[in-house]
Amino acid sequence: MRYDSITEAIGNTPLVRLDPAVHGLRNIDLFAKLEMLNPWGSVKDRAAWSMAGPLLSEAVEHGSQVVELSSGNTAKALAVVAGMHGLGFKSVTNRMRVPEIKDLLLLLGAEIEELPGQSECLDPTATDDPLTLFHRTLSASGSAYLHTDQYFNPRNTEAHLTGTGPEIVKDLDGRVPDWFVACVGTAGSSTGVARALREEDPSVRVVGLVAAKSDFIPGIRTIDEVQEVGLFDPETYDTMESVSADEAIEGMLTLNRRCGILGGPTGGAAYFGAVRHLRALDEELNERRTAVFIVCDRVESYLSYVRQRRPDLLGRPARKNTLADLTEAEVSGAPSVTVADARRWIDSDRPLVVDLRSPFAYAALHIDGSVNIVDELFAELLRGGLPFSRSRPVLLACPVGEQSARYAALLTRMGHAEVRSLTGGIIAWRDAGAPLVRD
Amino acid sequence: MDGRPLFLEPRLEPRLRSLVAATGTLHSLIDALGSPLHMVVPDQIAENLERFRSVYRAHHLSGQVFYAHKANRSSALLRRLAATDAGVDVASLGELQHALGAGFSADRIIATGPKNPEFLWLAARAGVTVGVDGVAELDQLGALVRKHALAPVRVLLRLSGFETSGVRVLSRRSRFGTPVRELEALLEAVERHGDAVEATGAAFHLDTTSVAEKATALEGCLAALEACRSRGLRPRAVDVGGGFGVSYLAEREQWEAYTTALTDAVLGRRPPLAWGGHGYGLRNESGTLRGALGLYPAHRPVAGAAYLDELLAQPAASLGGRPLAGLLLEHLYDLHTEPGRALLDQCGLTLAKVLEVREQENGTENGGELLVRLAAKADDIALEDHGVLMDPVVVPRSGAGPGEGPVAVHLFGSLCLETDLITRRTVFLPRRPVPGDLLAFANTAGYAMDFHATRAQHQPAARKVAAWQDGDGWRWCLDDQFWPITPSGGAQ
Repeated sequence: MRYDSITEAIGNTPLVRLDPAVHGLRNIDLFAKLEMLNPWGSVKDRAAWSMAGPLLSEAVEHGSQVVELSSGNTAKALAVVAGMHGLGFKSVTNRMRVPEIKDLLLLLGAEIEELPGQSECLDPTATDDPLTLFHRTLSASGSAYLHTDQYFNPRNTEAHLTGTGPEIVKDLDGRVPDWFVACVGTAGSSTGVARALREEDPSVRVVGLVAAKSDFIPGIRTIDEVQEVGLFDPETYDTMESVSADEAIEGMLTLNRRCGILGGPTGGAAYFGAVRHLRALDEELNERRTAVFIVCDRVESYLSYVRQRRPDLLGRPARKNTLADLTEAEVSGAPSVTVADARRWIDSDRPLVVDLRSPFAYAALHIDGSVNIVDELFAELLRGGLPFSRSRPVLLACPVGEQSARYAALLTRMGHAEVRSLTGGIIAWRDAGAPLVRD
Repeated sequence: MDGRPLFLEPRLEPRLRSLVAATGTLHSLIDALGSPLHMVVPDQIAENLERFRSVYRAHHLSGQVFYAHKANRSSALLRRLAATDAGVDVASLGELQHALGAGFSADRIIATGPKNPEFLWLAARAGVTVGVDGVAELDQLGALVRKHALAPVRVLLRLSGFETSGVRVLSRRSRFGTPVRELEALLEAVERHGDAVEATGAAFHLDTTSVAEKATALEGCLAALEACRSRGLRPRAVDVGGGFGVSYLAEREQWEAYTTALTDAVLGRRPPLAWGGHGYGLRNESGTLRGALGLYPAHRPVAGAAYLDELLAQPAASLGGRPLAGLLLEHLYDLHTEPGRALLDQCGLTLAKVLEVREQENGTENGGELLVRLAAKADDIALEDHGVLMDPVVVPRSGAGPGEGPVAVHLFGSLCLETDLITRRTVFLPRRPVPGDLLAFANTAGYAMDFHATRAQHQPAARKVAAWQDGDGWRWCLDDQFWPITPSGGAQ
């Protein structure tokens, strides 16, 4: 497999049969179309290349910036395509809720603009919503932008009509699957594939999956949001069903852990929705059937999404010398010192004063002569042992004396006999009129 | 779902639930004082304040919760708050006089918004903190202080146009505040008027539901205060304004079903849900939904004090990713908030008497909906003006009403105007109302009570009473007569 350009590696993704022991369907062969194995990691590589490809030479001539309303994979693919041609890329969105994707886009050189939130005080005279304004700006500026317009661009659907769909039929030895299950985002892949399959065999049944209304699954729209998509046509789907975020993550875990497929939550939603839809049908069958679903992208970009919803999945064994080990009794019995006593103690014994606040707050105002070890760093240091001699007295200070009390308890447990927490913290120090400096 | 009633039941906490159930009291009030009638529940505002205070405590933050007076002109609510440790944010000369008269000392008042010279003078004279919009207002204030030999005035610098690096957060343009880009010039003005003003902090107030935008602004204020300190100023506070929201509806499912049905109605897949096919900002462009839903998000998982908590937990990207609450605390800054609507959550309701229930002559056009006329004007119950969709509660005249099932109605006001609709949408009521019944519109205390009220066509604006619980029953007095020492039961 030798290519002259990475764009030639788009498409021809594997169709993998899943182990029946995992999904439990006895009469239906369930296949996953691994769009995650496209060169930039998602099903959107096809659409991005299909939409932007033909317009690139003109865009290069005018130095146009590529723009798209995208919160993730389309933006990623377009950022790469734009970069390969020396063009800038801007993503405008109000849906980018996964921090890793933001960071990756910035790394790829993209510019990101977040649309303003809804107005808290309704203004009945407001002229237009931010999206309408965005479209107006684009059309007013002539050729300064190459707007790929993924929600309305027929070339999005076409990429799947000529690519993804026929590939599925080819890999099934010319047969059309009995069911095709797809999550609906831009509706490009589901519409294109459905059309390609129906052209071969109109009896294929198409299941469209949307996110439950109050839930957020990256890459999938809710039943209301799909109505805003120009490519969406309810006639495409024989049935529309919704999947919750929890179910998407459950499906994703099965793909990741049992099938060896490192797909993301959208693929997980498709797997979960497919098995749920097919289970009852499977029991009625006496002959072999096939079903295909799409795994849109990879799991790696969604770790913070998982951490937020299922922190248990990322649990780690407890480490030594952490605040979490302390009992309430240890914390309440932590050695402490009032502001007045602390000032006398500093004058007489010169303890090391450790300020646990952030460097920004420390730089603004601090106790003269103190050192700044921000609490997160201090926690890391303590895992390795005491970071200063047992013979040196230590005064710990934080904003209100709560955090410092916990660390004083921990250091005491670690064998430091002369550690104190500043009662009431830097705020008490200030309120007592004790000096704070900026140096 | 076609044809089935789409209820939007109000969220009622115990105090308001009990008031709505006090049928006899409500009817005797309307008989005595006329329809429409506003009722406020002063004790609730103290409870709401406590919810905000507990968020402050959880983050160890000090600072003031300033009630945004403009949300309701009630004396009872203001006087009840005066008996707590809250502050008040006043936006006019009249509000400032009202606050001083209700018992707020100057150190608990902040003057914000567009100011006329009299307002500015009384604020400076009384010694309240002034939120200044820009250099011109500082100049005006400085001149005033010098000319009338007043003591230096504490000011909060209201900022706007915050910028981010990396991801650019777009924000609606505001006509208030000084863009952070012009901070240097503003601080030069502060120094120029060093004898007349003392800058005690920075403020912002953004009209948005977005936590991200507010987090960006708060981060921008921290940076601005650092610029103050580097000039030798001694700022102490960040004022994050309000806009924390209220969750009006009891059931998330009802709100979701309603908005989905509205989408279907706009796309022509079901009969219209509103008078004249109104789409609340949504429109159908060749089968695709366009526009934006111009409605208040009436069911919100996070609102009020919980919203503030979420804002404070946001990480500050330019300051090492630490949560904003931690940064405020570490910098020893006070946090000021100015919740209006959120502090008035569950603090009142509006009653209107049913005058007429009419069947449409041409019943086919709107599906046989009933036309219900109320003794109230649309501007007395301004929920619709704020995009809040919420069903009224039927308070029957005589015990339980007829036992028939739900009906679809249109609610009209008493003005001789086609546009005097209490709500544009078709409202579903659990049973058919009859003349003499009352409709209780819950949770109108925040902006929906007297913000828009007029005396058009010589029709009376709603009167207002304060009500409080006394054992199992409810007692009341005219709003103006309420003081926190107003006797309860046989106490005095």
